Amino acid sequence: MHTDPPTKNRRLSVPPAAAVPLAAAVAIALSSCSVADTAPRKSGGAPAAAPQEISFLTFETPNLPPEYWDAAIERVTDKHPEIKVKKLVTPTVDRTGYAKQLLASGQFPDVMLAVKPTDIGAAQNLYAWRPDELKDFIVPDGGAIDGKVYQLPANTQTIPNVYYRKSMFEKAGIAAPPKTYADLLDAAAKLKAKGITPFVVGGGKDAFPSVLPLTATVATEVYKKNPNWMLDRRAGKTKFADPDFVKALSLVGDLAGKGYIDKSMVSLDYAATEQAFLKGKGAMYPMGSWFAAAGDKSDIKDDVGVFAWPTADGAPLLPGYTGGGLEVNANSRHLDAAKKFTLAFQLDKANLDNSVKSDALFPAIKGYTPPADTGPVFKATYALWTEHVQGNATVKAFSWETGGDALIAGMTEKVYAAVQDVIIGMKSAQDAAAYLDAEWEKAS
Amino acid sequence: MTTDVGTRRRRAAAITATARRRRLIWRDLGHFGVFAAPGMLVYLCFVLAPIVVSFGYSLTSYNPFNPPTTFVGGRNYALLLRDEEFLTALRVTVILTVILVVVPNVAGLAVAVLLDRKGWFYNAWRATFFVPVVLSSVVVSVVWTRLLADDGVVNQVLGWAGVPKVGWLSDPDLALYSLAAIMAWQMLGFCVVVYLAGLQAVPHELQEAASIDGAGPVARFRRVTWPLLAPALTINTVVLLITAFKAYDHIQVITNGGPGSGSTATIAFVILHTGFTANRQGYASAMAVVMLVIIATASAITLRLLQRREVRL
Repeated sequence: MHTDPPTKNRRLSVPPAAAVPLAAAVAIALSSCSVADTAPRKSGGAPAAAPQEISFLTFETPNLPPEYWDAAIERVTDKHPEIKVKKLVTPTVDRTGYAKQLLASGQFPDVMLAVKPTDIGAAQNLYAWRPDELKDFIVPDGGAIDGKVYQLPANTQTIPNVYYRKSMFEKAGIAAPPKTYADLLDAAAKLKAKGITPFVVGGGKDAFPSVLPLTATVATEVYKKNPNWMLDRRAGKTKFADPDFVKALSLVGDLAGKGYIDKSMVSLDYAATEQAFLKGKGAMYPMGSWFAAAGDKSDIKDDVGVFAWPTADGAPLLPGYTGGGLEVNANSRHLDAAKKFTLAFQLDKANLDNSVKSDALFPAIKGYTPPADTGPVFKATYALWTEHVQGNATVKAFSWETGGDALIAGMTEKVYAAVQDVIIGMKSAQDAAAYLDAEWEKAS
Repeated sequence: MTTDVGTRRRRAAAITATARRRRLIWRDLGHFGVFAAPGMLVYLCFVLAPIVVSFGYSLTSYNPFNPPTTFVGGRNYALLLRDEEFLTALRVTVILTVILVVVPNVAGLAVAVLLDRKGWFYNAWRATFFVPVVLSSVVVSVVWTRLLADDGVVNQVLGWAGVPKVGWLSDPDLALYSLAAIMAWQMLGFCVVVYLAGLQAVPHELQEAASIDGAGPVARFRRVTWPLLAPALTINTVVLLITAFKAYDHIQVITNGGPGSGSTATIAFVILHTGFTANRQGYASAMAVVMLVIIATASAITLRLLQRREVRL
């Protein structure tokens, strides 16, 4: 091995050329090893004159393209030039999963939208709105967790509605939308006989489109009898293996077993599922009220009708949930600016109108009425909701709850997987229910 | 007296030589430390420390959103042994690994042998085969999701030939194999390039000598080329093995672990979902430690076997 001759003055053995990279490497390594700054910060740290930059986590769907968010943010920042907004976008529609990644890496946004408070440690990480800040909301305690509201109860969504193609119903000789569950099965049989796939039910990487039929059957078989079923499940008083819940699962399995749900569509993600319905790949599309926006933008808007998933006896019932609004990071560096932006964004009339037109939301804001120039699909969906509210015939939407009445963290994805298992025939309803109970125990 | 002086001188010389040797050793160690320290610090911070921390978490009930964290000892590891989801993921990972190690290796060797010629035509084909390797796995996944969709190009082409629609991604019995095929397709180019490098390093004289001795093309490949490709085989096998074990992105984009509960969920996929969706980071850490042990063991055994073969050949 070659070695340099020893000299008296080289005992330190640190060649000068190596000192710089060494120091840089040490600095990088030490900074990488340091703990992220997670200490709560007080607002008002920046000079009053400089705009305070806050980050806002949004998500994009076919209904909510980038332009929608940019325009909505600009409307608020035009009114509040002291606030600057950095828009973040989730990589998929899983807002909660992405928000958790950001939280874990010390990049939790200042403001976020429709992130499940129960999954993200609301008490530690989200700002609890004061009652006076919620005075403009119709359901000020919507989605509360232990009496505290972390997510603005900004809008109501009905989940699912059954959207249907009037022309396909006509072709199959179905005179009117089904009133009872037997009518629904009869309609499905007629459609299938005509070579039309009765239901469009997707899933794919987004997974949630698979759960819509189950949300409907849980409403009719479980929540109708016990509106507090989920609270009871959290308290250990009910189980997924209870007969009513198993029946809800088996009704979905029966629809797939009879060929009324095309199993191959389970690989379609949300956008592809929507396109499948719009392109006529099936006659009925169980989906949340937000579909009305896409329906109204489509060429077939006048061919789309809507009805509530029918109960066995024909009694009216429509699942829905009020919540879905913005949330604020409790430890935001600019908490006051984040709160100001959030309330301004959520209560801005133009933003509300656009949320109606773009995402077919039903703003749950006092004194608000949707614009008159909405499309026929939205009008029909909104009328269906109004009719059920007036008839006191609404229940919560299973798996879509976000407050103290929600599935525990990690269970929503298990529910999606279980219902897919039932649809594709990998599990019986009983096995799927047992799987959910087992997963619940693991997640508890 | 003279002997005493001589002995003392020899001793003194020996002591001086020892001291000099020690100084040299310390100086060498100093040099080594200076040049190795940056790499070692990075390795310590980004590899060893996370492993130690993960192992620590794996002995707890750590859930960042559900404090307090308690020490549970080996309970997480005991739970893994009867966790249906984890065992299914293990099975899925093993199937994926077998396919991903065998298919691109065999196909890559065949393509490399075909392309081991000179000229622009073969260069163009080499570039074509390598393109998928440099593409983002997300891009590849999105493209193949569209191609294999229910009404995608693949089913349309099969439809023209009278073949009924195939649920490439929606049939739980097929989805894993579809995924494996996509990943194998993407890794094929890598194997081709490594084998081509190996083929081009085979001395021409050996081939000529074998020809003169009367060896035909098959015998020349079997007796001369294949033994000399042993290092390429080692590289491809180990890289593919590790790629398969940590498969996540294709699955996240194409099937999200489905259809159904875990039909395409690998261990890496389950770890991420357990840790970051269900927030059970203590339990997910236990899974990660088990995965690390499996990958390290499988890689070490494979390397040992293949390197022994290299030496033997």
